[in-house]
Amino acid sequence: MEITFEHVTHSYNVNSPTASLGLDDVSMTIKDKKFTAIVGQTGSGKSTLVRHINALLKPTSGTILVGDRKITSETNNKNLKSLRKNIGMVFQFPESQLFEDTVQKDIMFGPMNFGASAREAKAAAKKMIKLVGLDESYLEKSPFDLSGGQMRRVAIAGVLASDPETIILDEPTAGLDPVGRFEIMNLFKNLQLKGKTIILITHNMDDVANFADEMAVIHSGKLVATGLPKDVFNQQDLLKEDLLSLPKSAEFARELSSQGFHFDKLPITITALGKEIKQQLGD
Amino acid sequence: MDKIILGRYLPGDSLLYHLDPRGKFLLTFYFVGIVFLANNGASYAFLLAFVIFAVYLSKINFGFFIKGLRPVFWLILFTVALQLLFTPSNNPIWHWGIFTFSKDGLVIAGYIFMRFVLIIFISTLLTLTTTPIEISDSIESILKPLKKVNFPVTQVALMLSIALRFVPLLVDETTKIMDAQRARGVDFGEGGLIKRIKSFVPILIPLFVSSFSIAYDLAIAMESRGYKDGEGRSKYRVLKWEKRDTLTILFMLGLTVILLFLRSY
Amino acid sequence: MEKIISIKNLTYTYPDSKTPAINDLSLDIYKNEWLSIVGKNGSGKSTLTKLIDGLIEADSGTIVIDGEVINEENIWDARTKIGIIFQNPDHQFVGATVEDDVAFGLENQGMPREQMVKEIDRALDLVKMSDFKTRDPQSLSGGQKQRVAIAGVLATKPQIVIMDESTSMLDPDGRKKVLDLVQKLRQEQDLTIISITHDIEETELSQRIVVINDGKIVQAGTPSSIYDIGPHLTKFGLEEPFSSQLVQTLRNSVKLPEGYLNEEELKEQLWKLHSSM
Repeated sequence: MEITFEHVTHSYNVNSPTASLGLDDVSMTIKDKKFTAIVGQTGSGKSTLVRHINALLKPTSGTILVGDRKITSETNNKNLKSLRKNIGMVFQFPESQLFEDTVQKDIMFGPMNFGASAREAKAAAKKMIKLVGLDESYLEKSPFDLSGGQMRRVAIAGVLASDPETIILDEPTAGLDPVGRFEIMNLFKNLQLKGKTIILITHNMDDVANFADEMAVIHSGKLVATGLPKDVFNQQDLLKEDLLSLPKSAEFARELSSQGFHFDKLPITITALGKEIKQQLGD
Repeated sequence: MDKIILGRYLPGDSLLYHLDPRGKFLLTFYFVGIVFLANNGASYAFLLAFVIFAVYLSKINFGFFIKGLRPVFWLILFTVALQLLFTPSNNPIWHWGIFTFSKDGLVIAGYIFMRFVLIIFISTLLTLTTTPIEISDSIESILKPLKKVNFPVTQVALMLSIALRFVPLLVDETTKIMDAQRARGVDFGEGGLIKRIKSFVPILIPLFVSSFSIAYDLAIAMESRGYKDGEGRSKYRVLKWEKRDTLTILFMLGLTVILLFLRSY
Repeated sequence: MEKIISIKNLTYTYPDSKTPAINDLSLDIYKNEWLSIVGKNGSGKSTLTKLIDGLIEADSGTIVIDGEVINEENIWDARTKIGIIFQNPDHQFVGATVEDDVAFGLENQGMPREQMVKEIDRALDLVKMSDFKTRDPQSLSGGQKQRVAIAGVLATKPQIVIMDESTSMLDPDGRKKVLDLVQKLRQEQDLTIISITHDIEETELSQRIVVINDGKIVQAGTPSSIYDIGPHLTKFGLEEPFSSQLVQTLRNSVKLPEGYLNEEELKEQLWKLHSSM
């Protein structure tokens, strides 16, 4: 599903002295079956932006098109299930959404809400628990007896179980150790390669460089850049104004270029950087 | 959650913000008490004039107080309707079965309505201009005499202030969990009563779990910072009673005297 | 070097577990050093912190802090020498405002108010949060809350600061500010820093890394000696450093010296190769 924002503005606490602008006239398109990263400082409006896609928030003005579904300020709170079924959302620290007494029941919760039969939901739970890297024996355990990292995986399985076409991730790896982070990011990349649309909110520019096809930069509720990561990370104005930081490889290349080395475009991954260095050293 | 004004603090700067919270706290209760002394048009008008004056002094937008009425709107409407229809009278304007509509009923309903407005306005005024921690400080200070009977006043006060401190955090947590479950297909406003109650289980359990985890972490953090049992602690927050606080009390007493003159016996 | 903490043959098993979380562990920590403790989730790192601060009691073994063997009587004194910054900024903020939170530890010591006022100003100044003195925690970012937590700890003038994954929930900007601050304070205030972490950049700031697995120390040494094992670092819950990953892609065609190179050293080597072309 392609997702389009047309002049979307969202203000919090309208008509109150504490009113604030969460989104300011955002227009953008999130391409179908691509991996799109959304970056920006804390409080820039990234989370507000993605909550409009499944109508958890509605725009104050403007329109969001999700496939052929239209969301405006007038959108009714009823009949949103068909929309939400197709949009899986992994929140920050998603383990806090677990509530059932077994892992299996918790994973089944989403699919059953969206109309799956108990049999279908059970089958989904079995499939998903393996997908997130845990074995079937976990299905009968209480989610509250698991470690933090395992709870995270169960929560992710619970979101994936409804088989959504689009998956929105709000810093899904925050607080995990590096191995866990790597496994979870690869899981989502593989889902994309199998035909899902992935939208990732992150502060980790290396993840953007390594996994994303497209990226968008948000600052103070405004969209300030979109495009391919290798192009966006080379927009000097963004870096100068501190709206964006660089992946490690690009940063290293920039430092190297102070003596001898020259990069037409900063490489953003280690592989690309290594290749450039080898070439410049005459290999 | 953003719409409820009752019990919320609004940062600001005016005389009412600077008054000693103990004075404000006690006077608010005192005012609620003397509202019941009013029994005719003149006395209600006088109290209303005072409340409007206090609102003016606070420099807070009047709209906030109107909003404060909203959550109790139905309660007010119900009570007023009850008075309108059930006040017994010798010369009713309209009478049908158990219902009576009369001039007396109209007047009493008007008074009841005034009482609600006055009490809600004045208590909204207290919470808008006083931080929760100041209110908890006042309670501690007012309860101090109970220490003599071994009531753990300081511990209770710390408990209260920590509880207040974590309310906004739990509100955020609730919003987040609700969003997460809505994204998983829960519809909170759908179906019959049982279904609706059931739909809150996926919120309440995570909320309990996270409250316990906050409590556990906080207890460890407090112990690591040397909190033992509340004994032998000194206090950083101090309340200072100033001349203007005494003047406010005197002003309120004067007000009471005028009120006693205005009411009919 | 003077020892500030000396742990000998420490063992601890959680009541509901069969295998010990800390298993016959011995470790000396020196004054003013920055020590990183790393290991996978569940390796026993956080248990060790709680044991050092006496928040849980060991089954056997001894802990000596600043020359004194810790027991039930002197644990409260020992605690005044140790400050801990925990992981979740929201779960350790006790006060209703920044100043009240910094005051908490001082109130526990029964410090007179006039002195508290001075100490709070000093501590907030050290962490550059003086402008936020009367703010409530809700209006602060995660990084700012952690700086307040550090001020709260500094106000009581500890000798040891333990950071228990205290930057793991922060955004990169908040994390950098907290780490820069701790680095600066270690030097200025003569503090000993013990940081429990998964963050490779955080370990680069330390003088020594101790790797814990199944409640035991399996490796210890300077950062470069630990980083030398390259890709195997993931077994310890650490990511391979950037420079080491880059060296691997270059090694077969670019001539680089053996062993671990940090980013600065690698840059120097590459510049040298470039200029000699």
